[in-house]
Amino acid sequence: MTTMTTMTRVTTATALMSAEARRLSSTRLWLWGLLGALATGGLVFLLAMVGPENFDPPMPGLATAAGTQMLLGMAGLLAFVPALLGTTAVTAEYRHQTITFTYLFAPRRGTVLAAKLSVYALAGLAYGVIVAVVAGAGLVVAASVHGVSLGLPTSDVVGFLVRLVAMMTVYTLLGVAFGALLRNQVTALVVLGGYFYMGETLLLLIPGVNAVYPFLPGGASAGLTGFTYVAQAVSQSGISTPHLLSAPLGALVLLGYVAVAAVLAFGTSLRRDVT
Amino acid sequence: MIRVRQLRKVFGTASSAVTAVEDLSFDVEPGAVTGFLGPNGAGKTTTLRMILGLVTPTAGTATIGERRYADLPNPSGTVGAVLDKSAFHPGRTCRDHLRVYARMGGYPDSRVAEVLDLVGATSYAHRQARGLSTGMRQRLNLATALLGDPRVLILDEPSNGLDPEGIAWLRRFLRDLAEQGRTVLVSSHVLSEAEQMVDHVVIISRGRLVTAGPLTEVTRHGTLEQTYLALTGAGATA
Repeated sequence: MTTMTTMTRVTTATALMSAEARRLSSTRLWLWGLLGALATGGLVFLLAMVGPENFDPPMPGLATAAGTQMLLGMAGLLAFVPALLGTTAVTAEYRHQTITFTYLFAPRRGTVLAAKLSVYALAGLAYGVIVAVVAGAGLVVAASVHGVSLGLPTSDVVGFLVRLVAMMTVYTLLGVAFGALLRNQVTALVVLGGYFYMGETLLLLIPGVNAVYPFLPGGASAGLTGFTYVAQAVSQSGISTPHLLSAPLGALVLLGYVAVAAVLAFGTSLRRDVT
Repeated sequence: MIRVRQLRKVFGTASSAVTAVEDLSFDVEPGAVTGFLGPNGAGKTTTLRMILGLVTPTAGTATIGERRYADLPNPSGTVGAVLDKSAFHPGRTCRDHLRVYARMGGYPDSRVAEVLDLVGATSYAHRQARGLSTGMRQRLNLATALLGDPRVLILDEPSNGLDPEGIAWLRRFLRDLAEQGRTVLVSSHVLSEAEQMVDHVVIISRGRLVTAGPLTEVTRHGTLEQTYLALTGAGATA
């Protein structure tokens, strides 16, 4: 066992990130990610092929600006998928007890979380790019099959696709941070999913909360993608909706939630005894 | 090498507090296999986890070469530890598991093949962890602990679930490591088995030290089991 005298140690941050990348690629998680991204982009293609004008109730068609934007927005509604995959970054370590070896190899627990966030940022970005490429190509193909041109200029379509990429990346990170905070995958999923699909809508019923809606996670997400059922429903009900944040600001607010959850995790769950 | 001083751990809050370890002090020296012995629930695992920085002591200190585990400049290259029976993702192969931790410690991939050979796990390195037997898991655990070629080894109940052949292999393996001058600390609740494996003993009961010293000295009046029962008064009034 003296063969290691020639061993050179790489710097810790790089080593931890490289280890996380290996962790991610050595189980089926990457495959689920690939399938999720393909399915999300494929859904946009499928809906475009069906044509929104054939929905029940009928919606603005592919040739209208609203129709094109709505189809891309649909992909944004599936951002919980990368969030779910992101939660496993930390929760799987607790579930399978690998957390013991992980903290033995890296006793400064914050560095482990930082490495996971860095690697999952890249993974989320890759996920988003796949979604955007498949969805974008799907729209173009569907439009040519239907013999129409998309209701938005190419630059706008690309803009929405870029927003989708950002959305998927940030939601992956939300998953990682909340997984670290809650440590249990089911809990993390219920909390994240419950909030986005119900909690925030209920919250908006409280008078006054409406005003801060753009800064709530769902509102910031709507600002980022430029699409939300809630905002549209509220505006149709005649209640004045506050203006949504711009896409970059929406992304920043969401990253703020990632940072808050990560810092909370660092201060609480990461300090717990590993027994 | 390992130094434990006035270590204390209380789990839970005031109303339901359980004292797992109380005023525990002992040393573990290099070049020998030290048995950390006591019945189930005596506080062995909690103590080992405090030494390794996984559990925060309520009071007292545990150091390895004068430093707390978390302050070691190269923790996995100083201490190798096996605490859980199975700490593997079921869908990851043995080799990939080791490759993850080789990266974490900053060791080259060639080291993975070395430790696989060292523990005799090369033949099943391509298999996913979910299909491994207890003995295979224990070897993979050891391989992970040995990645950094550490001078100190800490193993929690390593012979649990091993067949006689596996136990014999483990005994020889730990003996070799100690003869290379390493510090080896092995916990066990099976005194008769430990007696054949260790040179020194640290015996605890209910979180407190019962006795510590060379095996020959501690057992000069009988077997380890007889000594233990006499010292804890388990045979007489509790």
